[in-house]
Amino acid sequence: MTGPLYLNEVISVHTSLFLAIGIGVLFGFVLERAGFGDSRNLTSIFYFRDMRVLRVMFSALVTAMLGLVMLNRLGLFDYSLLLDYSLLKTYFWPQLVGGVLFGLGFVVGGYCPGTAVVGVASGKIDSIVFLIGMIVGIDIFALGMPLWGAFYKSSDMGRITLWQYFGTSMETMAEIVTIAALGAFVMAWLAEKWAPYDK
Amino acid sequence: MNAPDYTKGYWNPFLAGIALGLVLLLTFYIMGTGLGASGAVARTAAVVAHVAAPQAVEHNLYFNGFYKSGANYPLIDWMVFEVIGVFFGGLIGVITAKRFKLSVGKGATFSVSARLALAFIGGILGGIGTRFAMGCTSGQALSGGATMVVGSWVFMMTVFATAFVAAYFVRKEWQ
Repeated sequence: MTGPLYLNEVISVHTSLFLAIGIGVLFGFVLERAGFGDSRNLTSIFYFRDMRVLRVMFSALVTAMLGLVMLNRLGLFDYSLLLDYSLLKTYFWPQLVGGVLFGLGFVVGGYCPGTAVVGVASGKIDSIVFLIGMIVGIDIFALGMPLWGAFYKSSDMGRITLWQYFGTSMETMAEIVTIAALGAFVMAWLAEKWAPYDK
Repeated sequence: MNAPDYTKGYWNPFLAGIALGLVLLLTFYIMGTGLGASGAVARTAAVVAHVAAPQAVEHNLYFNGFYKSGANYPLIDWMVFEVIGVFFGGLIGVITAKRFKLSVGKGATFSVSARLALAFIGGILGGIGTRFAMGCTSGQALSGGATMVVGSWVFMMTVFATAFVAAYFVRKEWQ
C-alpha cells in the first residue's frame, strides 16, 4: 500500500484516532528509554556534559528523513502529497521569535512539551509544574492575539523545503543533512571532552 | 568525573534515536504528518480557559479555531490522542525499568522551590514560544526537520543557539 495511508484515504478518521494512541505509546516509550523523562538529562547538552539530546534527535531525524526519501523512491510513499497538503508551513519571523522563547523555556524550564509528559509519567514534579506553566503561557498568547496576531501570521513562505529553497534535489539535500549530522556527532564528542562548566 | 545515577540505565543514544526515527517514519507513512506534542497542550489550554470564560474563548482570535461550529470537542483530536499515548508509553517504560520516583530534577545544590519556580516560568516562555513557532521539538524540530522544512530548521537552530547562551545564566539550576 502506498503511504501516507490517511491522506490516501486507506484509513478513516476513526481508525487514525485509534492508531494515534498506539503511535503515542511507542513515542513515549522510546523517549523514556532515551532518558528524556528527566530534566537533567535534557539540559546537560547545554553544559556540554552529555550530548545525548543531540545524538538522539539527529539520529532520529536522519533515520526518518532517509526512510521517507527511500520509500518515495521505491514508490511506497507519495512525497508529493506532503508537499501539496500536509507539510508544515514556514512563517520565518514568528518561527525565529518562537524559537528564542522556546529555547529560553527549554533551558530554564528543563523540558519540552513531549518530554514533560514522559516526566509526569516518571513522577517528576518539575514536569507537572512546567506543563501548568505551558497552559498559562498559551492562554497568555491567546489573550495577546489582538496585539501580536498580525505578526503571528507574517512572513508566510508557504510549504517550502530546504531543497526547494537552495535549488537542489530532495536526494542531494538529504545527503547534505546526513553529512551535517555526522559532523554534529563529531562536534558533540569534542564538546564533551571540552566540558567548560565542569573544570 | 563519574557519570551520575540519573544518566544510567538508558539505551545507547544512537539506538534510541534510530528507534525514535522509525516511530516517526511509521507516523509519516500512516498519517502524512509527523509526531507532535504542543498542539495537545494548546487544546488543553483552550478547554481550561473555556471553563472560566466560554464566550471569550470561542471568540478569541487564536482559540476560535478549536471551537468552529459543527467541529468536535477540542480534545477529540489526533494529537491529543497521541499525547495520551505518550503518557502511557512513558509509564510502561518507567514501570518496566523500575524508575518511577516522585522527585524534582535539578542541580544537586539548587533549592526545590527555586527549581519549581523556574519550571513554571520556563513553561510560560516555552508555551508562548510554541504558539509563535506553531510547534515544538516534536512537531517542528523533529518532524519538520526530517521533512526538511525551512521554518522547522530555522526554529531548531534558534532554539539551540538561544538555549546554549541562556544556559550560562541558569548554570546553578543544573550544576
